[in-house]
Amino acid sequence: MTRRVFVCRCEDVTLDEIDHAIARELTTIEEIKRYTGLGTGPCQGRECMVPLARLLCERGLAEPATVQPFTARPPTEPVTFAALASAQPPYTGAADDDKDPEAAR
Amino acid sequence: MSKPRPLLELASPLPADEAVTLEFDGAPIPARAGEPVSAALLRAGVLATTRSPKYRRPRGPYCLRGECGSCQVRIAGQPNLRACTALARDRLAITPQNRWGPRGLDPTGLIDQVFRGGIDHHHLVVRPRIANAVMQKVARTMTGFGTLPDPATSAAAEARQVVHTPTVLVVGAGAAGRRAARHLEAAGVDVLCVDRRDRATLEVAAPGPLPAELLRAGVFAAYPHEGLWTAASDPLEAPLELHTIHPRAVLLATGARDPLLPLANNDLPGVVSARGLHLLLTRSGSRPAVPVVVIGEGDEAAILGEALGAAAVVGPEEVVEIHGGDAVDGVTLKGGRRIACGLVALAPIPAPTHELAAQAGITLRFDGHGFAATSDERGRAIVDPAMPQPWTLWVAGDLRGYMGPTAAAADGEAVAAALLESLEGAR
Amino acid sequence: MSTSMGSPRAPLPERVDIAIIGGGIMGLGLAHNLAALGQRSVAVIERSYLVSGASGRNGGGLRMQWGDAGNVALMMESIEICRGLAQELGINLWFRQGGYLFVARSEASEARLHRNAELHREVGAPTRLLSPTEAQAIVPHLDPGPIRAATYNPEDGVVFPWPFVWGYAARAIDRGVVVRTHTEIVDLLPEARGFTLVCASGERVSAERVVNATGAWSNQINRRLGIDFPNRPHRHEILSSEPLRPFLDPLVVDLDSGLYFSQSTRGELVTGISLPDVDGYDDDSLALHSSLRFLAVLAARLTALMPITRSLKVLRQWTGPYDVSPDGDAIVGPTPGHPDLIQLCGFTGHGFMMAPAATRLVARWLVRGEAHPMLQRWDPARFKGAPTSRREDMIIG
Ligand SMILES: Cc1cc2nc3c(=O)[nH]c(=O)nc-3n(C[C@H](O)[C@H](O)[C@H](O)COP(=O)(O)OP(=O)(O)OC[C@H]3O[C@@H](n4cnc5c(N)ncnc54)[C@H](O)[C@@H]3O)c2cc1C
Repeated sequence: MTRRVFVCRCEDVTLDEIDHAIARELTTIEEIKRYTGLGTGPCQGRECMVPLARLLCERGLAEPATVQPFTARPPTEPVTFAALASAQPPYTGAADDDKDPEAAR
Repeated sequence: MSKPRPLLELASPLPADEAVTLEFDGAPIPARAGEPVSAALLRAGVLATTRSPKYRRPRGPYCLRGECGSCQVRIAGQPNLRACTALARDRLAITPQNRWGPRGLDPTGLIDQVFRGGIDHHHLVVRPRIANAVMQKVARTMTGFGTLPDPATSAAAEARQVVHTPTVLVVGAGAAGRRAARHLEAAGVDVLCVDRRDRATLEVAAPGPLPAELLRAGVFAAYPHEGLWTAASDPLEAPLELHTIHPRAVLLATGARDPLLPLANNDLPGVVSARGLHLLLTRSGSRPAVPVVVIGEGDEAAILGEALGAAAVVGPEEVVEIHGGDAVDGVTLKGGRRIACGLVALAPIPAPTHELAAQAGITLRFDGHGFAATSDERGRAIVDPAMPQPWTLWVAGDLRGYMGPTAAAADGEAVAAALLESLEGAR
Repeated sequence: MSTSMGSPRAPLPERVDIAIIGGGIMGLGLAHNLAALGQRSVAVIERSYLVSGASGRNGGGLRMQWGDAGNVALMMESIEICRGLAQELGINLWFRQGGYLFVARSEASEARLHRNAELHREVGAPTRLLSPTEAQAIVPHLDPGPIRAATYNPEDGVVFPWPFVWGYAARAIDRGVVVRTHTEIVDLLPEARGFTLVCASGERVSAERVVNATGAWSNQINRRLGIDFPNRPHRHEILSSEPLRPFLDPLVVDLDSGLYFSQSTRGELVTGISLPDVDGYDDDSLALHSSLRFLAVLAARLTALMPITRSLKVLRQWTGPYDVSPDGDAIVGPTPGHPDLIQLCGFTGHGFMMAPAATRLVARWLVRGEAHPMLQRWDPARFKGAPTSRREDMIIG
């Protein structure tokens, strides 16, 4: 095996690749996520977010007091289309949200 | 191929009435009914069950607690299911994913050797156009992990929605969540406690009795604008269930999980989470069948080392490199010492599981080990004023910064008491 | 090749010929095309990181299959540019021509497809009318039952949006354009010629001409000058599924529900659907939150059309802002009353695909004064008179 230090195993993002992103002046978590793909795989950032935040703080590229994780997008657990399709309106209680989008077109 | 070497073994013989047989890649594998599939696989010496997306390195389980994705296999005709949370039952069919060519001879494994300096996928073979087109074709054939689900079973998958309107939703039945839920139940509050783990796992995962009203489902989102939380049943359960939950108060006790320690070859099959491994051993009545090296931070590394019968416990800063191929076989330390082993157990300081808190609008603070949910001293969460709050939000346990099971349980109790007081005040 | 793709530390010149507000596909595409024509006194100023706006949140679909000849011709040009754009920009764009398959379930939609197929034949786009069984031959897992007709154009396709944006930025920077990120424009001060732009950082840039390429935020810039165009932001949600081996070649659109789905380079099903705004939690504030309502409506339509997706799992959902123009046409050109302020917005749900051709023709107009039929159609002054009757009917989302 080639010697590699992984920060994100899901998307095979190594420490070298983070360095390449930083060399391109991408120094925020959201930018590094997008350039390297870090955090976009099956674990959705559970493993890689903290090592990245620590690294940016160590390098002086982020402040521990202000560094934030990337947006936590739903779903945080696997959910099937079948389960979702079972949901019935109203979802919000707003008067018009049970409108059939097809009928509304 | 050499005969697979078991990584774990049973601590005592399996009673006949608990024995079932799994089908791994067509071959029978003995298992204990209801145990995590990963336990049975590791006892059978099955470690690498997939390959990584880019360098095509062999991968096996890591967290063993349903957090990461590297144990994902095809189970009962469905792609990308975690072997560490799937429960063994007779004739459950399990197949590895993401492999090419004949068994054991995956030519794509060479990619790791060929691209020693790394792959920059943005700038790989951009020119000339013809070569670029070929590169894209090749890349596309290798993309994705599993293949489509079995058409007939997928199309027929039944599902239903279940609506809940509890007074309090407790997310997580770990040390803090269960204690909080019990406290609220005892006071006669209508509380729904949700955790994605099965009951037997929860029983060994943390101290203390479980609440009466316990739903096994993965809470997957907070939708403050819609005034609800959602959870989904395990994808292997039938019918599939979507839970929509409309609570008056929410107590988040989502705990903490293991971040990755950035070490050389920290992805090799056999590099696992020390906490996850310990839980799996307890849950499945197994013990390591190979030497274990623990690489860890903080006081708990030594405790975990002892619990796992580790050959050595070292700090991450001492490690030069982890070695191995399809399975880990050793760790080299600074100064050149090399320790042979069959499992490397990582024990980083756990990081709060902050995602749901973030979705609900709770302010997070980086504590050096993770993003902790912020709150006042009673556990009432500090929230972004721009986020709608159709409920009151409370946080307890490791989510407020890793504190360990004993402190988390006490925290769960204290926050539940404060929540109760606020409910009574509102009445 | 430059290694930078924009930076919060890029020095801002005091004066430039053209300042572009907004570092999305429009702003950066324009910067690239201006620089390619020799106009290098250009600065692009972006409030956040590149790809933070709609250009980083879209489905990456590109199609010729439009309902009127002007749009079809424009998209034929865009797709032609895309064939060689990765090489021009020096970055992989993952442009894959797997086609677009439109399916119709109602009589009205079927009639639209027939009309389009006829139009496309006339203008030379290779769109074919298909029977439900022929559609199923292209997408084997479709349930042909409810489908009445389909059209297929093999040259339509998808790209990966992020590198597209970065590629334009890097190439423009190579040629001398300044791309400044993490810098918000908070005011525009009219000068005798052009404007002085005021950044939140306190920095100022004077420019002879200013381009408003802030997409769904363009109203906020325009209102500083008391200008109000009728474009409005709309939340559009989208999701990715777990990544799977390739099983789907084209991007599929169900014309009756506005459901669309394609398989990305990474193997994920990327899918969205038309969803009218709901009172109470949709407003002009551009809050980009996600909803269960979207997941539920989408899942119902997707699983009906492709039953095999029932046990597929959703990996991630997110939201982006559409910059909706009332007649479906973009708002591009000099601003009435402020000719030095150039609008480049209102691209609704299709700005990504139009950007390669649109930004090239706008650059040619700015540098050489070259006319183009679309410029007339996109003229910001058109809202002054009576509303036009023509409304492009192939807008998705
Ligand atoms: C979910 C979704 C799916 C879509 N799918 C497709 C598709 O398949 N095909 C397609 O062609 N199109 C699609 N679109 C539409 C397409 O993404 C947009 O039309 C296009 O990206 C618009 O580009 P833009 O550069 O105008 O806007 P943006 O990319 O939004 O860029 C505007 C930029 O301006 C910046 N900005 C705003 N205010 C200021 C300020 N005051 N100072 C400095 N900077 C500022 C913003 O931060 C932003 O980066 C989709 C859109 C969405 C949301």
